[in-house]
Amino acid sequence: MAAISKKNPVDLIFSFVTAIASFSVIIFILGILYVLVSESSLAISRFGIIKFLTSTDWNPVTESFGALTNIYGTIVTTFLSLLIAIPVAIGIAIFVTEISPNFLKTPIGIAIELLAAIPSIIYGMWGLFTLSPIMSNYVEPFLKKITAGIPLVSVLFQGTPMGIDILTASIILSIMIIPFTASISRDSFNLTPAVVKESAYALGATKWEVVKNVVIPYSKLGVFGGIVLSLGRALGETMAVAFVLGNNHRITTSLLDAAATITVTLANEFAEADNDVYLSALFYLALVLFVMSFITLAIAKFFLLKAERKYSR
Amino acid sequence: MTRERKRRIEGFIALALSTLAALLGLFWLIFILGDVLVHGLKALNLSLFLNDPSPPGTEGGGLRNAFVGQLIITVFATLIGVPIGVLGGTFLAEYARGRKIARIISILSDIMVSVPSIVIGTFIYAILVRPFGHFNGWAGAIALSIIMIPVVLRTTEDMLSLVPWTLREAAFALGAPYYKVITQVVYRGAATGILTGILLSIARVAGETAPLLFTSFNNSFFSLNMNQPISSLTVTIFQYAMGPYDNWHEQAWAAAFVITIFILLLTITGRLIIKWRYR
Repeated sequence: MAAISKKNPVDLIFSFVTAIASFSVIIFILGILYVLVSESSLAISRFGIIKFLTSTDWNPVTESFGALTNIYGTIVTTFLSLLIAIPVAIGIAIFVTEISPNFLKTPIGIAIELLAAIPSIIYGMWGLFTLSPIMSNYVEPFLKKITAGIPLVSVLFQGTPMGIDILTASIILSIMIIPFTASISRDSFNLTPAVVKESAYALGATKWEVVKNVVIPYSKLGVFGGIVLSLGRALGETMAVAFVLGNNHRITTSLLDAAATITVTLANEFAEADNDVYLSALFYLALVLFVMSFITLAIAKFFLLKAERKYSR
Repeated sequence: MTRERKRRIEGFIALALSTLAALLGLFWLIFILGDVLVHGLKALNLSLFLNDPSPPGTEGGGLRNAFVGQLIITVFATLIGVPIGVLGGTFLAEYARGRKIARIISILSDIMVSVPSIVIGTFIYAILVRPFGHFNGWAGAIALSIIMIPVVLRTTEDMLSLVPWTLREAAFALGAPYYKVITQVVYRGAATGILTGILLSIARVAGETAPLLFTSFNNSFFSLNMNQPISSLTVTIFQYAMGPYDNWHEQAWAAAFVITIFILLLTITGRLIIKWRYR
């Protein structure tokens, strides 16, 4: 086909234009990396890498900036949201592929996809006005009460339940990432060959045993890829968290305290950063986030590709 | 208890939990959509679309500036993002089909689809806002188009790959050069698929807020000037919802209602087209 394309000058131009358009993706990635590094060079030279990543100081007045409180908030909310989302998402996938009657499969599939299509600003607003009061009035006092006497666990629920805290933010994040894990798990489950399942049934396995011992082991690569993908999404989610996390640069042990994530700090402080070091530190944060999420997403893609290759064989 | 019975009970519990999980997913969807619907419909009225915001704290006023601004930003983002995405996808599916570079670019695009949009906002801020000294509409539109391009590019590539190779051979046999085969035969065969990709990409960026916060920013006055800060629904929702006035909260709900319905309709339409055309 290349031989045909070389003959015609218009064709050469067309192939050139399309090539540039597709290289734009690489240009954007390199461009983002270059711009973020050069914009944050002031902060990099002033705070270094290790010191920036490990310092908990975030003080615009003294121009002293460290990323640890932001990174801590990002990791805690992401981890907690995955903890809630993974079992639910896998449950949904099991329900859709193995339990649900046929006429329910499509509507539930669409419902889950719609959950993914709702813009994050809507999640944030709903979280602020609806979920947060419910959390502070009912859920959080209840959690405080039942964990009160238990050592270690009670530490997680100290403080006044305000509803604007790590727990609320994580719940909203988990709702947002459930659809990604659920739909990828469902697709992977569906790829389990019917013959393998039937032979397990023929040996007398119950439905759950088939899911546990045949379907999940067979599709674990895909499911894992889906989980890492939603991990990447949760890392970079901004608006849903910005509403309900407060913006508190402190490392807290209680889930009922406000915190800050990298994205929330950027959303709240970027437009008002009034001096060069401050702005440069924010660009540095953005760089850290970009690198973190790019690596995570690349790992997810690696597993999904590996899964794809395995299933297509 | 016999082993048999234990296995049965264990299975029953596990399957019941899965069903509960599915119900929980539906519960959240109904909860969120219902909430947006109830609050949104209550606050929805004609003056919302016809009037500009009144001064903070006073009753009345509307969000005409935000509706128009959102429309302009989205249209320009589409005008920039769609051609680049479609052409890029064409390269991957046609000229570079099966080559290593095509694989690398598709993988990078898949990663780009999920890269935090706020990072793209900071990138555009550095190259299109700071050098000019003020927030502007173009920066917002370009930030959104960068989010759009990988989405359109990947769907275009997938849809073009579905067009049977024999169709191209038939056109080659008539002596058509490759670009004519692509524009007149392949594009036509994949048109609905590409259109669906475009719809879904618009749905994807129409709800974006983070990259607009420091590119197009916001404007409490009606403006059509893309060289100046321009208002958008999503940023307005953010500011109004975080603000102290009840009046603002109501308008934010109404705006949230409009944008949610718009995005869900686009998404459902896109899904239906795919279902009807490709299954």
